[in-house]
Amino acid sequence: MAHEGSHAVHHEVSPWALPVGLSPFFLSLAAIAYFTWKMAMVAVVTGGIGLVLFILGIAGWANEYFSKGHDEGLGFQGIVWFVFAEVVIFGTVFAGFWMARVNHADVWVREWIPPGGMNLALVALLTLILWTSSFTIWKAEHSIEHNDLGGYRLWLIATIILGTVFLVLHAWEWLHLWAKGFTISSNMYGTGFYTLTGIHASHVLVGIGMQFVLLINSGKALGKKTPARAASYYWHFVDLAWLLVAGTAYIVGSYGKF
Amino acid sequence: MAVAHVPPSGTWYGATLKEWIFTTDHKKVGMLYFITSLVFFVVAGLFGLIIRFEQTAPGIHLPGMFGQEGADLYNYILTGHGAIMLLWWAVVVWGGGFANFLVPLMIGARDVAFPRLNSFSYWSFFGASLLVLLTLLPPNWIKMLWTGYAPYSMNDNAGPTSLYVLIVLLYSISSTGGSVNMITTIVSMRAKGIGWTKLNLFVHAIMAASLIQLFGVPALMGSVILLFTDKYLGTNFYNPMLGGDPLLYQHLLWFYSHPVVYVMILPAFGVFSEVISTMARKPIFGYISMALAIYAIAFVGFETWVHHMFVSGVPDWTRVLFSYTTLFVAVPTGIKIFNWVATLHKASIRYNTPMLFTFGGILMFLIGGLTGIPNAMVSIDLGISDSLFIVGHFHYVLGMALTFAAFSGIYFWYPKVTGRMYSEGLGKLSFWLMLIGANIMFFFQMYMGMANGMPRRYPDYPPIPEWVQLMQIQTVGALIMSVAILLSLINWVKSLWGPKADDNPWKSPSLEWSMTTTPVGPNNFKKFPVEVPDDWHPYAYYKGYHAHI
Repeated sequence: MAHEGSHAVHHEVSPWALPVGLSPFFLSLAAIAYFTWKMAMVAVVTGGIGLVLFILGIAGWANEYFSKGHDEGLGFQGIVWFVFAEVVIFGTVFAGFWMARVNHADVWVREWIPPGGMNLALVALLTLILWTSSFTIWKAEHSIEHNDLGGYRLWLIATIILGTVFLVLHAWEWLHLWAKGFTISSNMYGTGFYTLTGIHASHVLVGIGMQFVLLINSGKALGKKTPARAASYYWHFVDLAWLLVAGTAYIVGSYGKF
Repeated sequence: MAVAHVPPSGTWYGATLKEWIFTTDHKKVGMLYFITSLVFFVVAGLFGLIIRFEQTAPGIHLPGMFGQEGADLYNYILTGHGAIMLLWWAVVVWGGGFANFLVPLMIGARDVAFPRLNSFSYWSFFGASLLVLLTLLPPNWIKMLWTGYAPYSMNDNAGPTSLYVLIVLLYSISSTGGSVNMITTIVSMRAKGIGWTKLNLFVHAIMAASLIQLFGVPALMGSVILLFTDKYLGTNFYNPMLGGDPLLYQHLLWFYSHPVVYVMILPAFGVFSEVISTMARKPIFGYISMALAIYAIAFVGFETWVHHMFVSGVPDWTRVLFSYTTLFVAVPTGIKIFNWVATLHKASIRYNTPMLFTFGGILMFLIGGLTGIPNAMVSIDLGISDSLFIVGHFHYVLGMALTFAAFSGIYFWYPKVTGRMYSEGLGKLSFWLMLIGANIMFFFQMYMGMANGMPRRYPDYPPIPEWVQLMQIQTVGALIMSVAILLSLINWVKSLWGPKADDNPWKSPSLEWSMTTTPVGPNNFKKFPVEVPDDWHPYAYYKGYHAHI
């Protein structure tokens, strides 16, 4: 955006905020059509429109920024503020989980923890994967700071792969537990477990999405390094949140039946 | 970003339709927010009149339709009146309308920090507005009241839960984007020489309000996301049978929905300060304490939410604790009111329309604030909770104080935004009618709750002559108020063809008046980057300073 001066009088426009802004509306219509109006076809159509608007809009938005935008370095601050809001969203689910854990401690340990307890070895592996990815994205950020595009791409790809492996393993774990009869509606442990880890996984997905957008536009990244710093910060937040999520969902959750 | 050139003498609004739709300019985005907000204000106002129509005489008068009864329609109207007035008018008129238009102008910035994000926020808010319009269809009536308390809101008879949840979610997405934008703008885009002690109090208010939105809205999002998963995906958050707790919903909801009243009222305080200082021709009294009081209110506001739950079955010690924190809000609020009075002391006041609306707003806030004290005391509140007293109280302290402030602000900045002068006579007439109508309406509403014990939310009541009379008086007040609002709306439209306004009709040193043309040009300032003299202050109404303006 031109901030330099009063020499050119013009109206600032961008066609990309509109489709991205309207995509939540269509996705909402899809959810309402599916769950309340019971019209699956309408849900598919509006959901499709919403997704297309979102993907095209984000692609155009990123392309416009990397091709014609100015890097003013404010994006980093923006994501820092945004992460505060994310912390509170996580906090709401934590509040529900901890309220139940404290108020129903007896029945929780006696009946709600799945037989055999939780797979803590897998949690350790997941933690290792995610924290390694924190290192790789730091390397990516480090590379772009030193104008090393090759290293930047390489470490971004490594981070995306690690994030994806995390999600796949996590999904495998969910299916496994679900098959054992530990479902989202079993009791508050199941509810809290799947919601906490699910919300966290959705953030991992968003982080991977950010890195993917960065990777696609990496050819134009030299003059615009703030998005890389912002995505890196967000990813560190997601990794740090995993400590609390895993600590709560696995360790505090199944404490008493290790 | 594509750039379209227009002659240098252009106005901010002189753009093509395409430039309006794809705009990332803070002034146009602000105006889009403002118009949307105003339209919904009128709709929610009509909803309020329908409530008056229903209550003017005992019995159910609203027609049943599409398999739903008149009382269902009443519940929908009541929900809509509350939700739209609070979210679409009280929050958005400030954070979306006023803040977007004014904050960059007041801090000497070319635009907000993230112009595309700003446009995105508007369009997702627009999507939420479309979802609200969907509820006008009878099968989609939301009848769970604006708070959407679980488990009632999961009942199919309360209306489509998913629609309620997604309206709130879209609204929250928009508002989170907006607050990130405003905070970053105020922190990082102030022109050289404009420090934190040289910001307009309106800017401080928007900063505090945006911080509240940033930390509070996610709690609201959480509460409705869990509502959604409980109803449609089988989770147990609000299900006490399997370890959940319905009180969790109330805690999460009020953790946001109490602080949000300061999102609505702090910018109103900001407008009061701007108008009082300008029309009294004096620097605002105790500027630093005014600014600190804003942040103090925002901070304490997060510690009071349980006072909405005194009758929800929370432990006694929480009730006592939150009773104290609630009363403590009166301290920073009192500082503000005393400082306004001190600013007015021995001033030669210009009694024009913005000033009158500001006086009216402070009066309404004072009445509402003082009637809030009994509500904050647990022992009294147990008796008057869920009566019309509380409804009258929050219509004074929030509804009216805020609407008077918004009207004051609209009249105050009308010349700068439109380039024309509003009609003073019509504005004053509108003010006096509104003051009289609002006091008739809401005073007797409080009276009925306290003296007669009339519960809130009920469409029907026993045909006791005194009750019928009291209800009729309220309806008369509401009608007078409607006429007043209509007069102001007519004024704002008619005055678009009114006499041309000067660049700085109020002779104010504040940047949005002193450094821009009227109406504001597409590039905001006559000279950019903005430079201010060392002794500049937005409230620099001292002798000799006006040489600069």
